[in-house]
This record gives sequence, C-alpha cells and structure tokens, in this order.
Amino acid sequence: MTEDLKAADRVLRLPPRFPAPRAWWICFGFALSLLALFFISVGWLFGHGPGIWGNNIPVGWGFPIANYVWWLGIGHAGTLISAMLLLLGQDWRNSLNRFAEAMTLFAVSCAGLYPILHLGRPWLFYWMAPYFNTMNVWPQFKSPLTWDFFAVLTYLIVSVLFWYIGIIPDLAAARDRAAKMRWKIFFGLGALGWRGQATHWARWQQAYRLTAAIAVPLVVSVHSEISLLFAAGPVPGWVSTVFPPYFVLGAAFSGFAMVSMLTVWLRWMLDLHALVTPRHLDMLGCLLLSTGMMTAYGYAAEMFSAAYAGGKEAETLFDRFGGPYAWSYWGAIFFNFIPLQLLWWRRLRVTPIVLFLIGCSATAGMWMERYMLLVSSLYRDWLESSTGYFHATFWDWGLFLGTIGLFLTLFLLFVRFLPVISAFEVREEAADG
Amino acid sequence: MSNPGDLAGLHALTGKRFWRALDDLIDQPGFRARIGAAFPALATGAGDWRRRDILKCLGGAIALAGLDGCERQPDEEAMPFVEQPEGAEPGIARFYATAVEMDGVAQPVIGKTREGRPIKLEGNGDHPASLGATNAFTQAALLDLYDPARSGAPLFQGQPTSWSRVDTALAELRSRLDGQAGAGFHLITGPVGSPTLRRQIASLLDRWPQARWHVHAPVGDPTVSNERLHLDRAHVTVSFDADLLGPGPHQIWHATQWGARRRAFQTGRGGAALFVAEPSPTMTGVTATRRLVASGTRMRALVEALATDLGVRAAPPIRLSSLERAWVGEAAAALRRNPGRGLVVAGPEQPRDVHELTRAIDRHLGNLSATRSHFAPPSGPRPQDMAALAAAIRRGEARSLFLLDINPFHSAPDLKPLLARLPLRIHAGLHVDESAATAHWHLPMPHLLESWSDGRAADGSALLVQPLVRPWLDVRSRHALLERLMGGERGDRAIVRETWPAILEDEAWTQALVSGTIPDSQPVAAAPQSARTQQAREDKAAEGLSLLVRPDPTIWDGRYASNPWLQELPKPLTKITWGNAVHISPALARERGLASGDMVRLSVGDRSVAGPVWIVPGQERRTLLVHLGHGRQRGGPVAQGTGFDAYPLVGAKGEVRIDRIDGREEVATTQHHFAMKGDEFIRFVDTLADALPPGPPRANFFSAQKSSPGWGMAIDLDLCIGCNACVVACVAENNIPMVGKEQVAKGREMHWLRVDRYYEGPPDDPRHAFQPVPCMHCEDAPCEMGCPVNAAVHSPDGLNLQVYNRCIGTRTCSAYCPYKVRRFNWFDLTAKDPPELRAARNPEVSVRGRGVMEKCTYCIQRISAARITAKKEDRPIRDGEVATACQAACPTQAIVFGDIFDGKSAVSRRKASGRDYDLLPETNTRPRTSYQARIRSGEEEA
Repeated sequence: MTEDLKAADRVLRLPPRFPAPRAWWICFGFALSLLALFFISVGWLFGHGPGIWGNNIPVGWGFPIANYVWWLGIGHAGTLISAMLLLLGQDWRNSLNRFAEAMTLFAVSCAGLYPILHLGRPWLFYWMAPYFNTMNVWPQFKSPLTWDFFAVLTYLIVSVLFWYIGIIPDLAAARDRAAKMRWKIFFGLGALGWRGQATHWARWQQAYRLTAAIAVPLVVSVHSEISLLFAAGPVPGWVSTVFPPYFVLGAAFSGFAMVSMLTVWLRWMLDLHALVTPRHLDMLGCLLLSTGMMTAYGYAAEMFSAAYAGGKEAETLFDRFGGPYAWSYWGAIFFNFIPLQLLWWRRLRVTPIVLFLIGCSATAGMWMERYMLLVSSLYRDWLESSTGYFHATFWDWGLFLGTIGLFLTLFLLFVRFLPVISAFEVREEAADG
Repeated sequence: MSNPGDLAGLHALTGKRFWRALDDLIDQPGFRARIGAAFPALATGAGDWRRRDILKCLGGAIALAGLDGCERQPDEEAMPFVEQPEGAEPGIARFYATAVEMDGVAQPVIGKTREGRPIKLEGNGDHPASLGATNAFTQAALLDLYDPARSGAPLFQGQPTSWSRVDTALAELRSRLDGQAGAGFHLITGPVGSPTLRRQIASLLDRWPQARWHVHAPVGDPTVSNERLHLDRAHVTVSFDADLLGPGPHQIWHATQWGARRRAFQTGRGGAALFVAEPSPTMTGVTATRRLVASGTRMRALVEALATDLGVRAAPPIRLSSLERAWVGEAAAALRRNPGRGLVVAGPEQPRDVHELTRAIDRHLGNLSATRSHFAPPSGPRPQDMAALAAAIRRGEARSLFLLDINPFHSAPDLKPLLARLPLRIHAGLHVDESAATAHWHLPMPHLLESWSDGRAADGSALLVQPLVRPWLDVRSRHALLERLMGGERGDRAIVRETWPAILEDEAWTQALVSGTIPDSQPVAAAPQSARTQQAREDKAAEGLSLLVRPDPTIWDGRYASNPWLQELPKPLTKITWGNAVHISPALARERGLASGDMVRLSVGDRSVAGPVWIVPGQERRTLLVHLGHGRQRGGPVAQGTGFDAYPLVGAKGEVRIDRIDGREEVATTQHHFAMKGDEFIRFVDTLADALPPGPPRANFFSAQKSSPGWGMAIDLDLCIGCNACVVACVAENNIPMVGKEQVAKGREMHWLRVDRYYEGPPDDPRHAFQPVPCMHCEDAPCEMGCPVNAAVHSPDGLNLQVYNRCIGTRTCSAYCPYKVRRFNWFDLTAKDPPELRAARNPEVSVRGRGVMEKCTYCIQRISAARITAKKEDRPIRDGEVATACQAACPTQAIVFGDIFDGKSAVSRRKASGRDYDLLPETNTRPRTSYQARIRSGEEEA
C-alpha cells in the first residue's frame, strides 16, 4: 500500500475517528454563535421590514444584493475545480474537489437566501416562479430577476446532484469501514446500495461526467445572468456590456480565494499533508493569480469603456475614484490585486499561511467590489437631486455575519460527518500512477 | 345624557376616547353619580352589584358607546356645493364651499366629504381669491381637523372639567365685569378677519368700555392689510425684499395673479418682469427675471436710488456697487417703459418711509391706481398692540386675560412672566399648548372646518364658513365662547347669520352657502392707508452680521407644528424637513470654516439660541436667517424635538454673533445636492421667441403608443414658483404616509411628487430654479422591464401602473428608474395610525402595506371617475375633465394634464411649444411628463 492509499483510507475513517475534536468544537461554537445572529437578524427583519437596513431611495439595493452576488461568486470555484478539471483530466483536483463542491453548495445556499430576505414581502417569493395559478399571472419574462431566479435554482440543483453523485462511492467505502452500527446505517442510506460492481462504475462515470458537462457552462451562465441584474438597468456604472465576463471572472477569483483558505485550514486541522501537498497549494496559487489578473483586466476594461463613453458613465467612474465611497473602490483594488502579486513566486505560493492571507485579502476585496458596484452607482445616478447616501446599519452587518455563520456551520458539519476528500479518486489516481 | 361633561372629563384624562375596562369608568366618582341618577337600582354601592346588573350596565354602556359612531355626519343645515367639480357621483362625494383662515385672511375652499368625512380641500373656483387654487397651508388644514392631539375637553388648572362649570365661571366673570365696566379685562386675539368676530368684539367693548382688545401677530400683519396688490396688471414688478409669492396669507392671491400675468406674457400680451432685491433667496427671488443679492440694510439705498433714477426724488447721489447700480438701472428702465403697468413694493421688514417711497414711485409713474387698490378698514374698534398690554400689566391694571386661539406663551417669550402675573387667564384653542398649560382655564375649540363662521378673503370680499362635519370633540367655537361670555345662549349659525342682514332671507342665505361667497360684500374702496410696517431697523455697520427672523415656510409661526404634512414638507429653498437651521451664506461658511449641520450659537445682544447651520447659495454674505415656530415646549407629540425656538431673538437688539459650538446635528433634508453642474435638468430660453434646439433623433425598437386617450402632463417651469401646494395636495389625495425626521434623514420620505431645486453659476449669486418631479409615466419604462412579477405594467391609456397587490418588493423598479420617483414602504407605515388619521384618508386610494413599492399614478382614481361619468353619458372624456390633485392645487397653473393625442387639448398645446423638453432624454424612456423651459426675459421684445 502506497502512502497515498493509506492516506485515502484515513480520510474514510475521519468521521468515526475524528482527529481534531477540540479544534472542531471551537470552530463549531464560533459558527453557531454567528448562526444565532443569523436567526436573530432574520427574525427582526420579518418582524419589522427591510427598513431595519440602511437601504433607501435611491440605494434600494444594499447589503443583501451585494452579499448575494458575493456568495454566489464564491460558489463558482467549487464547480470549476471539480467539474471543469474533471473534464480536462486534471487528476490533482481529486484532493480538493469534494470540499470545494461542498463549499459551492453551502455558498449557493447562503446566496439563495438573500434575494428572498431582501424582498419587501418575502413570504410571496414564489411569485417569481412560473406556476399555474387561478389568477393566470406569470412572471415577467423580460426581467433579469426572473432569469436570475431560474439560473440560481438550476445551479443549486445541478450542484447538489454533482456533489452527491461524486460522493456515492466514498459513502459506500465509509459504510464498509465503519465499526459502529449507527455509522453503517448513516453511510449506508447515503450510498444508495452501491456495491462497486463494474456496471455501477460505468453508470457512475457517465452520470458524473454528464453532470460535470452541464455544471461547467452553468458557472458562466449563472454569473452572466447575475451581472444582468446590473447591466440591464439604465444606471450609470451598471449598464455595460463588459459585465458578464467581468462578473464570471470575478466570481471564479473570489471562489478560488475561498478554496485556498479552506484548503489551508483543513490541511492544518485534519493533518492532510499527505493528500494536500505543496503541489496542490502551488496549483491553487496559480489559479488564484490567473483569475485575479483576468479580473484586473476586467477592471481596466470597465474603466476604459466608462471613460470612453463619457457623460454620466465617466462621472460615476470619477466619483468612484474620489467620491464618498472611494474607500470601497480603492479597497477593492488594493485587497484584490496588491497582495496577489506575491503569488508570482513559487516559494510564497506553497507557503500555506501566505496563501491563506492572500485568500482572505481577495475575499474581502471582492466583497468591497460588490458593495462599490451597487452603492456607488445607485447613490448618485442621473438627477443630482436624487443623490442619497447609504449607511449600513447593525442589522445589515448582522445578517451578513449571520450567513457566514450559516456557511461555517454547514461546512463544519460536512467536515465532521462526511469524507472531506474524494478517497476513491485519490486511490484511483495512486493506482494509475 | 344629563351631564356629558364627566364623560368628556374622562376623555381628557386618558387622552383617548377609549377605556380599557369598565373598571376605569366605574372608578370615576362622576360616573358613579351619573349611574345613580340614571339607574337608581344600581346605585346601591360597589359591593352590592349582582351579575345581572353588571351585565345590564355593560350592555347599556356598549349601546351608548355605539351612539358615538353616529356623530360624524354633515351638519344638516350646511348646504352642499351644487356643481360637482370632480365629476363625482352625487350621493358618493359631497362638496361644500367653506374656508380656512390664516392670519385673519380666509382662504376659500371647497371641502370634499365622503360618508360625512371631509377628505380633501380644493380651492373654490368661483371665488376670485382662489380661482380653484390653494397653497400648502390650505391643503394641510384638513389634517389639523383630524389631529389626534387636539384638546377634547375643558380644563381647569390642568384638570378636566365640564362646560357647565365653565359657564358658571364665565357668569361670575361677567357679573364682575358688568360691575366694573370691564376694567382689567383683556381680550387677546390673532389678526381678526371674520366680520362676525369683529361684531362680537365690538359689542363686547360696547358693553364693557374699560375692557381692552389686543391683537398679537407674531409674524404677520396685526391689522389685516387693507391694501391689495394686483400682480396680474403689473407688467413690471420691483420687489425690495417683499416675498410676494412666498408663504403667507396672501400667497394664493399673489401667485394666481402672477401666474395669470406670466401666462399672458407667454402668449404675447404684455410683459411679466419681476425684479427682486433680497438678502436671502425666497420663492419670489427664485422666480424673478432679475435678482439682486443685497443685504436687508441696503434696501433703503436701493429704493432711494430707484426713486432718484425715475425722478421721483431729487436727492444727493447714493453710493451703489456696480451690481446694484446695474440692477437699479434696469429696473428703472423697465418701469419707465411701462407707465401705469408697474408695481414697486417693499418687504414687511422695511421701515415706513421706505414703503412711502415705493408708493411715491408708483404714484409718479401712474401705477398707484392700476396695480394697487385699497379698501376702507373695517369699522368698529381698533385693537391695541401687545406693548399696551404689557404696560397695563406693569401698571397693575390688568386682572383677567382671555386668549382667543392665540399662543403668546410660545410666540412672545418676553411677555411670558408678565402674563403669568395675572390672576385669571382663560385660554381658548385647539390644543393644550404652552398658553393652555399655564392658563387657569383651557376651553377647547373646534377647527374652522367644523364651525360656522365667516371671513374676509385676500381680495377683501366676505365669505361664509360652514362646517363640513359636526365636531366630534366636546368643543365650542370662538363665536359661541364670546356669546357665552356676554351671557348669550345662541348657536354659532344664528350668531353668524345676525352679521349678515342682507342675506337674511332663507333663499339668499342658502345661495351664499352654496357658492361660498356673500354677494356685494366687497369692502368700500378707500384712499391708501399708511403702510404696514415694523419698527425701523437701525442700519448696521457694513461688516457686522445682520439677522433675519422669519416665519417658517411650512409651519409658519409654529401654529402648524403639530401637522405632520407640513413638518415633513421640504422647505422650498433648503428642502429641510422637521426642523430649522441657521441659514448662512457660502462666503460666511468659508470664512468661518462651517459645514451644513455644524452646531452654532447665534446671539443677538444678550439673547442666544443654538442650532445647526445650513449653507444657502445666493444668500447675502453677511446675512443670517432663522425660521420661527420650531422648538415648541408643548407642541404635542408631532412637534416634539424638532428644531430650536427662535422667538427669543425677535426684537432683540445688539450685535449679531455666530460662534461654533461642539457637535453636529443631522438636518433631515430631502435633497443633498443642488448644483446643476452643466446638466440640463432645467432648461432655459432667453426670450419668448426662442425655442429649444431639437435633440438628436433617438433610435428605439418600440413603436410609440398612440391610442387616445393617452394621458400626459406638461409642467411649465416658467410658471412654477416652488410653493409646494402640489406636494401637499398629492399627500392629501393619495393617502401618502408621513415617516418622521429620522426616516427622512435616511432618505425614505414617501412624497410621490417632489419639487427639486437647482442652482447654476457661482454659489454666491447663482441662478435658481424649481422643478416638480412626479412619475414620468415613461412609454418605455425601465421599471416595467425590471419587475419580475408584472407589478409594474403599462395601461392602454399610457399610464405606468403599479399593482400593489402583485408587488413583492424587489425594488428593481426603483433601482432602474432614472428619475427616482418611486417610493418604498420600508416599514408598515400605516397600521398604527390612530382612528382619526384613518378617517382622513381618501377611500378611493388604496392604503399601502409594508414592503410594497408605490409612486405617482397621475391620480388614476380621478381618471377612472371621469371615465365612468363619460361612459354613462356615452361621450368621450372632455379636455379638462380630469384634473390631477397637483394640477388642481397649483396657483400658477404650471401643471396641465390631459390627452396628448387630442390635438386641441391644453396639454398637447403646451407640449407643442418650442420650450417643451423631456427630462433626461438620453435615457430614451419617452416620458409622458414633459417640461417647458424657463424664459429668462420678462419683457416683450421691442
């Protein structure tokens, strides 16, 4: 048995014999306290209405939409890492794909809550869906929000399927290795009667690759669609054809940043050094650097097109440079692109703490970018008279931190109870190698 | 009910007309006594109550409580207006001609009632002093009627009492006054315009010759001016700091006439030039064709220079700056070109001799008889001023004080300690205000809209005031109070009828009630009286600061402080709501390093107040301005904590100083940026003959909608004076909720129609303009594209509709709206409204709930009403049949609404003008609301 195979075996035994219960409980306690804040914020919101936030006219969209775009962007990296690299035959992904996919699921869940919570009457959110009803009214199909609803729903379903199909063989393996009855039942139910027959594997290969082929274009379509929320509105700073690719790249960038952080953290907490090697860190650093630089190109393209368009577009651009929300613009530039440049050096790429910190920086930078895009465009659009300032309130932050708590709680439960790394694929890779 | 006073006492005790449990009632000794009188069997004592008796009593109480609901009915003696001006069905809405009063000047209105509830006031189109127009104060009077904080029971030393005890006390007072010929009795009123009230005061002074009558007018003219200006005849008006078009009792009169003059100018019938010299921008100054920024102390020099230029006065040359010289020269030339068609006026802060000089100029040019008229002052006693009262108190002669609907304990802080010395103080008014709180007796009064009375309008003619609804509080009108004081027992209507022997016949009386005017009641013309003036001001050194203390443009002298519609109404120039500020010039702000919102201490001599500063472009460098009326101590829950009280500065003498103190205050304003910075939101043409250059053609995938009727609106910025009448009319018509200071500061005001104010040019002397912005009803509306659930949709007649029931509150429509006219219900703004405010709502307009977007509908309920009428009569809707609330209120007729595909309609004629333009044409939304550019000149081309 090679080292890799041993390590893979260990992954399967992680849930029953969890190596770091203390660290996990500390993290979980922290996540639960943030989750409590989430429930309090949502309760307060339902009790009082969206007026508890800083939103106003003209800035009718504030934190909820910025956070929505941010979370969804984070989600995309998981799909890219596992589906696209799977199709491209990049085997090194096997050490990362499982938890990256889980991250996608949980990030999309957090994202999906926001457009509902953001509504004035959230209990009527299902009116966005085209369902048969006695009133004979349908959604308004020209609206980017309608398409957004379809896009996110599709993405969520496909992500769940892809993640679940991928985990089935490992659930079966964990079932077979589990000592206690309750673990056997738990994994056995999830494994759907997987027995490892050749026909099982053949069907599985087909299903997994097909789902991957569906998932990859979805990354592009979902985030392009989200960019249309902005690009379709006649608002200076929004109405720009560069937005779809710019948003997709930014999303991948923020997602890889999050994957980098999670990788370094899990590697340390669960002692996965054998599986997540410096090569993986190196690859992640490269991905982060390349998507980051592509995002920077998007910035430059947007800046150029705004300046070239002139008029209100240019006014908004210059207002972002020097207006009251300039901190968010320069913050985005700084946190996204300045620390990123360290990744040009391989030695820094494979230093876990550096990668972790750069991931943090890019995640924060991308959040500032979403905030900047929303607020600095809306607060002062066409008429000087309708200028109005946005100030986030406690409840804006409360809900944002609350969804971070929701994400961490779900992710920690995943880490605790399911195989965090695709063991069979690692074994397959090792056997092939 | 044998003794309604006890129940009334209970009202006042609990503040509401509800009780939580019967125990609350039973615990009242008065109630026990009443029960004993009505049901002796039950009066055996608390311990003996049997279950059946309690149930009987409970049933009786509930039945009696139900009777309360029967009270809100129209007074059966009031006469509905015969012609239905809104095209509404008889039996659904009823219209009554009546009036509301401001500073003794009656504003003729038509009150619309539904199911006995007054729900809207419109101007009385048959009355020359209104011609259908109103202003913000008149519109908001409706809410005063429904104010939940109104006083509902008489108080004796702060404790509820009954009217029978009041009558006893008044009888005692009467017998004492009869014995002493009224010595020591002082009646204080505001300016009195009502002929009936004058008659009653005259008979009071007849009976008690030693009694004294004083008029307290904190901001206005104590004698109700007997001069009428005729701006419609003045082709050139020169104003020296007279805010003719600004807020006040004569605003509608002046503004309708200015509108008429300006419209005549637009159609080539004479000039409409307005020269204004003023220290702080006013609505008149913004409207002016030529504005000069000049300190208030320069007005005398400017008037003298004008007089010299025109040869009225041979005087030594006056030193003027080049700007002043040019302005005076132009004004003189314009006046000279228009002999007999000019008007020169000075503001109320100017001394008497300046006013005399403006008259002399008018006389010299032959304007006097054309553009001014005078009527004989009302006969009868002349009131004394408050200084005479102060002197009487100091001499120890004054003993009893009757404050009739006036609040000197707020508006005359200097007099407070003197007034407090008097052994008997009776206050009558609508609220338990500062004066009521310190008075021995407080007597609640009905609102004018629920009273019989009369008044004199701005044109001098008399009109009748009839109640739109019976009072639902236990109140007595001003006429009834004076009648009781003098021992009479008659009702209000009888008292008013006695004043008008000419219409004693029932038929004539009915006719006067129906039309709202009293025929042949125009006062007799007379020679000009001496001018209304204030104390001459000492001219200060050029470098010193000078302070203007003026009534607030929305809550006036403080009397409207409890009216949320007016508190939340953005002030025309600053757009500040819910408070006041120290207005300073940009130059002074630079010099002192002050930013808007910084706290300062403003001192005059030894008096001082503290408040935030607000930078006002176009204010004279060394001029400061504060508004009165805020900072009420007992203004009720609405006025709580809004602004600072500037009354201590009235009449203060000494050096004016402004010192920065620690802190900042958030001033709730609805507009943060006023500079146009090269944008063409407001467009100008130089002369009448000019047209705007045509815009570039704009490609559009969609063909234009062209089915008649296609509703559209035209707003002539050349006529708009920024008076806000439209804004309050919109609030009243469309049940728009008020959100309060904190929410306005957050940018969540709900007004469907706002009046934007812009300036362009240097901040020290910019060009100003107003722009009302309702929904544009775009044909290609971005909001409709954005809405995911089809809540924003388009109607075949061109309306951009918002379906409240379908809205889920994504706010996409607002994000996409280039005009930002949409308003969102961030909270449930209406559920906690007290029943009084619910009664004031227009039943034809939905009340919106939480989480729903709303916006201007072009008053779709009025369109529907007209469509239904037209359908019944099998004819198309006539042009002018639908008037939106804003249009109906506008005194200058700047707003026109109608079918844009009917080539003959007023709105399509307006839109055919060369001055017509769309706001933000670059967004290519094809708005149905368009604007007409302002014309810079005011004189016809030679």
